[in-house]
Amino acid sequence: MSEKYETHVKAILSECPDADPKEIAEAFAKYETEFYIPPQDAMRSILRRFKGEKSVPTNRSPSQGGTSSPRNTKKVSKLSELNGNDKDVEIEVEIISHNMREQTIRGEQKQIAFGLLEDNPWEEKGEKTRWEYKDWGPSANLAPGSIVRIEGASVNEYQGRMSLNINQSTRIAVVREGTRPVVAPGEPQDINTLPSDGYVCVVGRILASRPDQIHKKDGSGSIDIVRGRIADETGTIGFLSWEPFEHQVGSLLKIDGAQVRTFRDTPELNFGRTTKVEIFHDKNFADAESLSQQTVLTISDLRDGARDVDAVVQITEWAKRSFTRDGEERFLWSGQIADPTGRCRMSAWSELPISEDQLPVTVRLKGVRVRAWQGIPDITVDNTDQVEILESTPWDDALDLTNHTAEVELHDLANGSSRVGVSTCAIIVSVREDSGFILRCTECRRVLREGACAEHGPNNGNSDIRLRLVMDDGRSSVSLLTNKAATLELLGMDEDQMKAAVEEDGQMAFVQSLRSKLLGRMVKATGRTIVDEQGAMMLADGASIMEEDAGMRATELRAHWGVA
Amino acid sequence: MQSGGRVRRQPAWHMLASEFSEATLNEKGSGEYDPSFVITKLGAKVNRVIVAGLLERLEVRETSNGSTLYQGQMRDPSGLHYFSVGDYASESMRELTLSLVEKTEVGEPVLLLMTAKSRWYQTDEGAVYTSLRPEEACEIDAKTYALWLTRASEGTLQRMKIHNDSLSAEPTQEGLKAAGVPEHMIDGLLLSRNHYGEFDTETYTLNVMQALDIAEGRMDAASQPAPAPQTTLESSDSSDASDEDDVKETLVAIIAQLDQGDGVDFETVLTNADARGIDRQLAESKLDELSNEGTLHEPRFGWFRIVS
Repeated sequence: MSEKYETHVKAILSECPDADPKEIAEAFAKYETEFYIPPQDAMRSILRRFKGEKSVPTNRSPSQGGTSSPRNTKKVSKLSELNGNDKDVEIEVEIISHNMREQTIRGEQKQIAFGLLEDNPWEEKGEKTRWEYKDWGPSANLAPGSIVRIEGASVNEYQGRMSLNINQSTRIAVVREGTRPVVAPGEPQDINTLPSDGYVCVVGRILASRPDQIHKKDGSGSIDIVRGRIADETGTIGFLSWEPFEHQVGSLLKIDGAQVRTFRDTPELNFGRTTKVEIFHDKNFADAESLSQQTVLTISDLRDGARDVDAVVQITEWAKRSFTRDGEERFLWSGQIADPTGRCRMSAWSELPISEDQLPVTVRLKGVRVRAWQGIPDITVDNTDQVEILESTPWDDALDLTNHTAEVELHDLANGSSRVGVSTCAIIVSVREDSGFILRCTECRRVLREGACAEHGPNNGNSDIRLRLVMDDGRSSVSLLTNKAATLELLGMDEDQMKAAVEEDGQMAFVQSLRSKLLGRMVKATGRTIVDEQGAMMLADGASIMEEDAGMRATELRAHWGVA
Repeated sequence: MQSGGRVRRQPAWHMLASEFSEATLNEKGSGEYDPSFVITKLGAKVNRVIVAGLLERLEVRETSNGSTLYQGQMRDPSGLHYFSVGDYASESMRELTLSLVEKTEVGEPVLLLMTAKSRWYQTDEGAVYTSLRPEEACEIDAKTYALWLTRASEGTLQRMKIHNDSLSAEPTQEGLKAAGVPEHMIDGLLLSRNHYGEFDTETYTLNVMQALDIAEGRMDAASQPAPAPQTTLESSDSSDASDEDDVKETLVAIIAQLDQGDGVDFETVLTNADARGIDRQLAESKLDELSNEGTLHEPRFGWFRIVS
């Protein structure tokens, strides 16, 4: 053995002549066999050991006070933080609109710009406030859709209305060029490129249209409206007309000045008094039948607030429920449905010709709507005509959807909608310190913080087990919460063993032991996901470490990438 | 659905030390909570890494404001990571660091795996160095280390391929997209091409081969010294065989370069020496020697000037 490391041992001996060559060789062997560290990489560590260096803390460095010049700039992230008399203001905003006009100032004709800006420009769905602004510059850096940092603007308050004044001395830095296409009014846009708000023009064919009513919340009456769906070759979008709308399904229309509003997660076109709707002539425009193919969704595509959805699903559980409203007993039918992309719930307000002993039953749904409850889509069927019972399934009959989980890549889970019945594989990159035993509120199952529930106050709580992890595929990450069963499965322990481990070593040492077991390892987790603006979370009822052979992986990599 | 962008957690890159330590470019958004990134030559835009290796050094250092800072270095087959753990670290990370200090003091080998945030700093003369701030770490066994080596190798090979594919494409968002560059690499590759220009990826191939040798248990192959010198940047290995006069020369050069008339403070000298791979303690003792020899003097306590 000592021969193998001869050159390395000599190198150490030249620095530490008193060391025992045999001991040095043993150290090299230990690094190599136990830790996979080749001798040249272990060199420094072994050298340090034999030199017997001991670190001496140094505190010689003199303190060095940083000098920062005081600034009067008021830097804010929200418009609401500003007061009417703020002068030197710095804020990042998105320019919503930008218009020019001529104005006579002190006898001189001058161009000034004005429009709307919006704070909190980076959060896609955060709370945003809009103010008017006037640019006396005017700066060439202001353009609709761009995000700019305004430094040195002042606030103007007039009759309680706040606006922002931009002067020639104000600095405007473009942080992100406008990504919203600047579309000339009257120029039709593809439906799949519509912004999530603003006025647009589209050309499309009516796929659905029906009268509806909106009941005012204060009970003062109701408004007649028309709801429907319009499509072009790029996509479809629901619409709501506040004005009489009598065009038939199948008509091709040009609609100018419709307003896009996003309700729940779903954008919708609003037609109002200023919207121009006219018949459009184009012989080559796709017919209603081929356009309506686009409304056929799988469960993985469902979004909260979607309407006029068509889908083929299998009903795996179905039950009648009763509830009382206004002293009257009413009925609701609900249950579980599935397709090969996942599972979700379905509810019906009228009885479907389905009995429990026929399950599972495959059905085609037409024109149904989607609500989501805690992130899980729930399809609502309003009347029986929306459901057609199919003789056979369009997918493999042998697929048992009651326990089927769809394997989905982590990146797709992180960037898709909330899903049920999915599994994914990725690397564990975080084990949170509060993993292990927790107490849940006896009323609502929330995790107690310092013996108290945020909603129900102090209580003794019920003991439960869960891990808080993060899984990552190098492109996206998902928070992973494993329930009790999944935790015990993942750790290969029972509850008593886990309790003993925590009691013996303490919570921090227990968390460290979890990290040694899990960090950097590939884990497969099964459960459901909740995706919102905070990111994606997976609630797992099953989890296991993937057994991997490093040597085999290395050999495969060589073959795949041609590194000999 | 558009991602919220800034509120989302940044992904962790599996990366060998050579790629990370050779990076000299960073990007910081303008907002207070914008993540900052180190951009590597291969175009990875790194905010977080998952790295592993042999813990080679871990020492406590009192800083000027009274807080405690642990500085360490971790070696993988391609080179060294420098990292620091301060009072800002989580309780578990600080507890672990304490126990690791004890182990390194008695020379017990420790294989470490950590997820860490990328850090970046520039010296006054413009040299750029990267380091890591561990979030979570743990001791691992050789098997987990070998698995990590394969993942870091795979990541490196993928980035080399994507980087190579991108070279013939037009250097714009659309150009790279058309060349099939995955979305998460486009920004980084554009920045990298602008900053680094052309470079040879051969050393990364050698790093990967060595990492794979180790993962396959072919230690004899892995024990061959890497055939090529690392880079133009002085590699930390140079201090291994450093003859001590070199260290002194480097220290004098640092002080000569940074002195603006008042001398250079102790901390700055050591940080710069550290960044050149000179062990802090070695640098400290050499600073003493240089003072005793009369090459340096201290006009104020802790400030060094060259005696002219």
